[in-house]
Amino acid sequence: MSTAVEYRGVSLGYQGKPALTDVDVTLHPGQRLALVGPNGAGKSTLIKSMLGLVDVLHGDAAVFGSDPKSARGRAGYVPQTDSLDADFPISVRRVVMMGRYRRIGWWRPARAEDRRAVADALDRVGLTDKAGHRFGTLSGGQQQRVLLARAIAAEPRLLLLDEPFNGVDVLSQEAIVRVLRELSAEGTALVISTHDLTMAGELADLVCLVNGRQWAAGPPDETLTAGPLRKAYGERAVL
Amino acid sequence: MIEPFQLPFMGRALAEIALLALICGPVSVFVYARRLSFVSDALTHTVFPGAVIGFVAGGLEGVFLGALVAALLTAVVLTVLTRGARISDDAATAVVLTAMFSIGVVLVSRRSSYTSDLTSFLFGRLLTVTPQQLAETAVLAAVVLVALLIGARVMIFRTFDPAGAAAAGYRIAWIDLWLNVIVALVVVAAVRAVGTILVVALLIVPAAAARMVSDRLAVMAVLGTVLIAGAGYAGLLLSWTASLEYGVALTSASSVVLLLVAFYLLLIPVRLIRSAGART
Repeated sequence: MSTAVEYRGVSLGYQGKPALTDVDVTLHPGQRLALVGPNGAGKSTLIKSMLGLVDVLHGDAAVFGSDPKSARGRAGYVPQTDSLDADFPISVRRVVMMGRYRRIGWWRPARAEDRRAVADALDRVGLTDKAGHRFGTLSGGQQQRVLLARAIAAEPRLLLLDEPFNGVDVLSQEAIVRVLRELSAEGTALVISTHDLTMAGELADLVCLVNGRQWAAGPPDETLTAGPLRKAYGERAVL
Repeated sequence: MIEPFQLPFMGRALAEIALLALICGPVSVFVYARRLSFVSDALTHTVFPGAVIGFVAGGLEGVFLGALVAALLTAVVLTVLTRGARISDDAATAVVLTAMFSIGVVLVSRRSSYTSDLTSFLFGRLLTVTPQQLAETAVLAAVVLVALLIGARVMIFRTFDPAGAAAAGYRIAWIDLWLNVIVALVVVAAVRAVGTILVVALLIVPAAAARMVSDRLAVMAVLGTVLIAGAGYAGLLLSWTASLEYGVALTSASSVVLLLVAFYLLLIPVRLIRSAGART
């Protein structure tokens, strides 16, 4: 089976300065990988590196067997909602359509199949009735689901989610988890950064514990245990 | 109400404003959404030394080319300077603005003979637009509209979600340069008619006013165009009437901008009513 992500002894950084080191991780299609660590641990850096947006300082980083940059077309990205301008005058449908822009091209109008993909994606996250609403009027959880729909509309084989459960209500959290399980059953590889250990344990097949470096990687029952967690979070961590 | 515009110079002034309305409406929406007000202001000022150098080199004919080169150069410099996070966008923009504008002032003060011509560049000469200038504005307007049509969708993506656009494989710096060049072309197109000081109003006020009425970018663009065209028509008529019937010298470009700002003020209650309605 081909791998979606394969990192061997990878160090990542900005302008030559390492931000995250010693990353060894292999992710196959259909697997769910949780990146766990405190704030500023390098989770976002690791996710962005899979899109070729962060320099690889050492080691071998491959996404679908090649340089992460060249795999962008097959990778989808769900950013944190608080990075977006809530006052921006744009409809939910338009946001989801952004997922199709790479397929549509710069100036051609959207085709019927693009509109269908947008409608399907909105249906999957349960927000069909919100399609015409302004994005900023939705709740945090609904906004997160819209961004997930946008990523789905791009039909990615690797989906990267940056803290998708931050500030999300229970209803939206359940909807997101359900969709993520469906997607991985369909063969999409998932990378989910979170500092919610319970959520990571329930959702992921693989956990990567990071904080400046990778401290452990493997199944949740081996990684989310006292030893590795103390290493990542420090001795004073309350477990 | 139509009569004054049958005079050739008034008709050309109205046509010039109509062309500017066509491009400033949609472009102002991007200036508003990307929060590029200060960048637009910088562009209006950096065009000034370009115009002076163009004038020195080629007389009145050289002004257009000089302004165009200076505007495009500024668009590139601002894109490069604001790309790295080492200096803030504001600081970088302010440095470019003041440096270029002072160069322009130094150049102008070197000789007194063309001071009045270039002063008109600061405040505009809407009523002396020549057929050739009108044609140049039309060409620039066409270029701007095509550039907007090609880039609009991706620019909206980048504006709303820079991280998402970068992740989708778009080169953010190139998209930013695209928009900066569009704004630069609009400034060059508009600067002769309304002057470097007032052109910034055409790039900021329409979208800010339209935003109070609508949540949709396309509606805002159309509304912005309508507002400028309306202010242009009424402003020209106002300065005509004031000068001829009341003997008050009211410059046309300032009247247009004043009315545009008046529209903005008139729309504030609409915004308040809308947001009060949204809360209930």
